[in-house]
Amino acid sequence: MKHKTREHEGCTVVAFEGDIDLQSSPDARAALLAAVSAADSILVDLSGVTYIDSSGVASLVESFQNARKTGRQFVLVSVSDGALRVLKLARLDKVFTICETLEEGVAAVS
Amino acid sequence: MDSQVLDADSTVKISGHLDLLAEMAASFASTQDLNATLKSAVEMITTYVGAEGGALFMLDQAGQKLRCHASVGETEITGLIIGAEQGIVGRSVQTDTGVIVRDVANDPDFYAGVDEQTGFTTKSIVCAPMSVRGEKIGAIELINKDHGDGLFANDDLTLLATLSASAAMAVINARMAEALVEQERVKREIELAAEIQRSLLPAAGSHADSGVVGLNVPARTVSGDFFDYFMLEDGRIGFSLGDVSGKGMNAALMMAKTISLYRCLGKAIHSPGRLLSLINTEVCETATRGMFVTLVGGIYDPTTGIVRLANAGHEPPLFRTADGVYTSLEAEAPPIGIMMNPGSEEPFPEMDIQLDGGALYVVTDGVTEGYKADKTELGLEGLKDILNEKADSAPLERLVMLAAVLEPGPEGLRDDLTAIIVDDAAAKKTRAQDPKAKAVSHEPMKPVKLMRMRVPSTATSLKLVRSGVLASSQQAGFSDIAAHDIVLALDEALQNVIRHAYDGRDDGSIVIDIERHGPKLVFFVRDYAPPINVDKVRPRDLDDVKPGGLGTHLIREIMDEVEFLPPPADGGNILRLAKVIA
Repeated sequence: MKHKTREHEGCTVVAFEGDIDLQSSPDARAALLAAVSAADSILVDLSGVTYIDSSGVASLVESFQNARKTGRQFVLVSVSDGALRVLKLARLDKVFTICETLEEGVAAVS
Repeated sequence: MDSQVLDADSTVKISGHLDLLAEMAASFASTQDLNATLKSAVEMITTYVGAEGGALFMLDQAGQKLRCHASVGETEITGLIIGAEQGIVGRSVQTDTGVIVRDVANDPDFYAGVDEQTGFTTKSIVCAPMSVRGEKIGAIELINKDHGDGLFANDDLTLLATLSASAAMAVINARMAEALVEQERVKREIELAAEIQRSLLPAAGSHADSGVVGLNVPARTVSGDFFDYFMLEDGRIGFSLGDVSGKGMNAALMMAKTISLYRCLGKAIHSPGRLLSLINTEVCETATRGMFVTLVGGIYDPTTGIVRLANAGHEPPLFRTADGVYTSLEAEAPPIGIMMNPGSEEPFPEMDIQLDGGALYVVTDGVTEGYKADKTELGLEGLKDILNEKADSAPLERLVMLAAVLEPGPEGLRDDLTAIIVDDAAAKKTRAQDPKAKAVSHEPMKPVKLMRMRVPSTATSLKLVRSGVLASSQQAGFSDIAAHDIVLALDEALQNVIRHAYDGRDDGSIVIDIERHGPKLVFFVRDYAPPINVDKVRPRDLDDVKPGGLGTHLIREIMDEVEFLPPPADGGNILRLAKVIA
């Protein structure tokens, strides 16, 4: 699993690519927590996620909750079909703020 | 008979009487408030006859007491209650004759209690009964002639008797009118209940081309039987049919509750056994006075021809193959509401039937025990005869025939008629023509081994297992979404083994077996760790959005069947996961 963190229009964007599973989710978790502790607006780009399991979802939830606790914005953008399916099964699709595109996400946090 | 020539005086008197009678009758006829009218009648009579006071008494429902409903004059005694035989009034009522006590000082029956309380001095009483054709209603009593010597004469009694009789007639009419209004109200209420019930049942023939049709004919206005069917998102059809114990409004209300529960839950929960279990818990907790419901719940898949069925104490559904061979599917569980299931999450037993172009008939005993025109019971054999005769006609026609044969006689239907037909003939033709249709297995229970994977208990194994599971699921015919769901479920199951069974140790071994059992794909996840405490593996509480425990929830959401098998002799745990191919 690969991840990249960059700045975009005042937001921190963390993009993931590949499978986020038990093996790779610790990496994902670290990247997300780092982004949340450093920035005010965090966009998580899941367009390249080919697989995500409960441990991956848990990392998303953990960083989302951290962000909320510290008054930061946390939005999922461009969620792949497979990833969205898992979020729906976990009944979390209504918990997260989910935007179709990166631009909508930027608009949502400003 | 002597004909009397009336003198001018008498003529005036009589026409005056008639005027008063007419006035009173008119007043009674138009009244909404019987008591107010009685009061004005007493006033009119008292004035007309010429008395200082007057009172109208009526018997209570039990006929034990006389109550004053209206009074006029110096002493207000409205509301006074005396015994039905007490006093002059009582005597008049019981003997149904007029009584005149010209001078009370001479009459032992006179009840002095009122005078003592009111300070009034009664001198003379005239009392006439109110009765109609022997039915005693009460009496009107007048006190103290208001002129002359204050004593009444027989003329006064005659006049009072005429007026009392008229008042009695009016009271009877008013009561009958009231009863009629009440009857109408109750009738309207029951009709409304029936209308509500009808609105809960599917319209006759709706979705008839799906192969599922149903019929309900209540024996009385409200029915304790019900049937329902509804489309699921994936094209399958859920259905239910039930019979509530008892009759009347209570049964009807229970019916409405059960049918709604089944439909609401049935759209989300696709296991009839689980549905029945949930409804049973609900009914056991909230139903009153030992009501119970026999219930059949099922799901029909037109793309495979398979019906999955659960039966709680109901008449065995009848399965007729396309060739006319019958099988009765006995209930494997007691009716709903009898007792809480021991492990209350335990689903009721389910069975799968491959209709293969045949049909399933679910009826209530109003059908098999219903009377034909010749007053004999239709019976199971009679039912089969009709079904054989009409085997080639549309399912809706078969229902109509059934209803016609059980057409009620003058006494009405013996019991509610309810029936559902799940007919696979049309769907089978569609499947035969459709090149993408899934192959139907005719030996549903013979397992076919597809794949075995043995991997070490490490996170790196997961990706490999996922490939194998995806490939097997796709090959078995699952849709893309379903196949990926299954991959997730198995992945989570393996994670549980790695985390809990092996406590994160990577030197354990996990074996995954994938088999095809008829319409289902079945996975066995075997580890060799010490037996798991099943209670520790709980689905997370959805209201509690915390990481952890989510995995087990996902497994249960995705798979149709999830259970630990009894621990094998050579140690470890076996988790069985299954999903019907769709």
